[in-house]
Amino acid sequence: MRFGVGLFSLQSTAMQPSAWAGAYRDMREYAVLMEGLGYDELWLSEHHFFYDGYCPALLPAAASVLSVTERLRVGTGMLLLPMQDPQRLAAVAQDIGKRSGGRLDVGVGLGYRDIEFDGHGISRKQRLPRMLKGLDVLEAAEAAGGVSIWMGAQLVEPVKRAGLRGHPILFSAALPFERCKTLAKIWEEGWVEGGRPVASKPKLGALRNIWLTEDPREREVARDWVRASYVQYAGLGWTLPAVGEHEQADFAEETDKAIADTVETTITGSAEECIRQLREFEAIGIDHIAFRLMLDGAPRRALEPQIRRLAEEVIPPLRDKVAA
Amino acid sequence: MRLGLSLHEGREAEMSRLAEAHGLFGVMAGTGNPLTAIVAAVYASTATEFVRVVTRVTLGLEHPVTIAEELSILDNVNNGRTVVLVDTGELHHEEAADEVAVLREALSSRPIQHDGPKWKVPAGLPANAAAPSSISVVPKPAQLEVPFWLTGAAAREVAGSSGLPVLAREAGQADDKKLVQPGVTVITGNLKPDRDLVSAWAAAGVTHLLLELPAEGDLGTIMTLVSRHLGPEVMMPHFPRVMSESRVPLSWPGDIRR
Repeated sequence: MRFGVGLFSLQSTAMQPSAWAGAYRDMREYAVLMEGLGYDELWLSEHHFFYDGYCPALLPAAASVLSVTERLRVGTGMLLLPMQDPQRLAAVAQDIGKRSGGRLDVGVGLGYRDIEFDGHGISRKQRLPRMLKGLDVLEAAEAAGGVSIWMGAQLVEPVKRAGLRGHPILFSAALPFERCKTLAKIWEEGWVEGGRPVASKPKLGALRNIWLTEDPREREVARDWVRASYVQYAGLGWTLPAVGEHEQADFAEETDKAIADTVETTITGSAEECIRQLREFEAIGIDHIAFRLMLDGAPRRALEPQIRRLAEEVIPPLRDKVAA
Repeated sequence: MRLGLSLHEGREAEMSRLAEAHGLFGVMAGTGNPLTAIVAAVYASTATEFVRVVTRVTLGLEHPVTIAEELSILDNVNNGRTVVLVDTGELHHEEAADEVAVLREALSSRPIQHDGPKWKVPAGLPANAAAPSSISVVPKPAQLEVPFWLTGAAAREVAGSSGLPVLAREAGQADDKKLVQPGVTVITGNLKPDRDLVSAWAAAGVTHLLLELPAEGDLGTIMTLVSRHLGPEVMMPHFPRVMSESRVPLSWPGDIRR
């Protein structure tokens, strides 16, 4: 399995204010720490025109991390492709890929907020055609080398489309395990329909809320930080629509319920418990795990020890299984 | 007058570190492919702590709000050291002026509601019914006001309406009334002609001169010429050359200057 940390969204929130420039410096320092501890990936996240500075331009942010590291990969999870000129985006991504030795993963998503489209002069109705056109351009760049495409999707059609086009998915941390399992199967159907053998399919990825602790008090605090981190999605107006038997999570209209349900997806407990639950993801073809630790700008005194503990106690046994 | 360095594409980190070690005021990134100039600026930024990073932005290649967002991220990455060099590209001067206005408004600490000859921001498109009538690009830049300089075919016209300085490419183009008057020139790597050259730029009223280095020659040696001889020469009137021409103290181990 491969392990990362995310989502770096570089915010200064109402609950956890900070200097933005300090957040960008901290991210570079986290990246160096993560690389030293053997992590594989760092994941960024994008929104626009939000009060807390939620990062609106992921490629410059990615370049800043790649410029101070040598091995760590950096992924955009997700860059909102319909809002950008795909030719320019591909050129920038290829340049970063060239400078970093091919360590950039360009994860792309659709976006859903009217204000974000309108601020960039784009009709939201055009988001799917622009997404597909953008993917054509990025796929050509990927074929030329230096760019790897990932996709963010939570619904049947886009997940299947990702499989058909052969792009791995990074599932949201808000998706319960069972929903990831359903969607991983749908993705695989798309992969096979695209005329590819099952055996050659790439591993998928998932963000996971996780906190390694044996201390009940620390567990309570960690879960409360997960809760707080999802309040922003109420502010952003995010809704996770129903898929089959998996019900809708409406962060805007049913805020408390959606957040409480999402907190329940958090993996907490001893190293053994964390490993047990992560092996379940591996069993359904998800072996890129991005620990969703950044939690609305949680303090470094809490995060750094957690990043270390996960690297020392959880990652090695899971890697050993692959090696074996 | 202060000296800076124009960076070679792909060598931004290395050359920026040298520029900083030699005490230059800044570096200019993005002189190669205009599409990828922002990446060059990021690499120059993370390699340094103090130098200003002059970032070339060519108009007409992307929505200006997207460019403003990238510039704001850059300015937070380098903690307020960004200077934007706007290249008007192929835009007519009215369109260029409008795009510069959007960039500057978006990087201010006010919400933006712009309706100009080229851009309407927010666009107010019927399909985006839930969008409000103004937006705010966030995060805000680290510095209070990001400096803008102009270059390109329509630079003079845009300067006329905006009051922004134009990057001089010849000493005679300098406006000595501007508090900041940037320029760019090519040096040879030879002391006598280069000293005369930068002195002429200083006399013309340029305040910040970016140097393009000769393609040939040892970079460290040329940078020493710049910081030991050219910089002091234009930092004060009647510089006593004995200070740059006396014997240099022995190098400390690990010093990247010579």
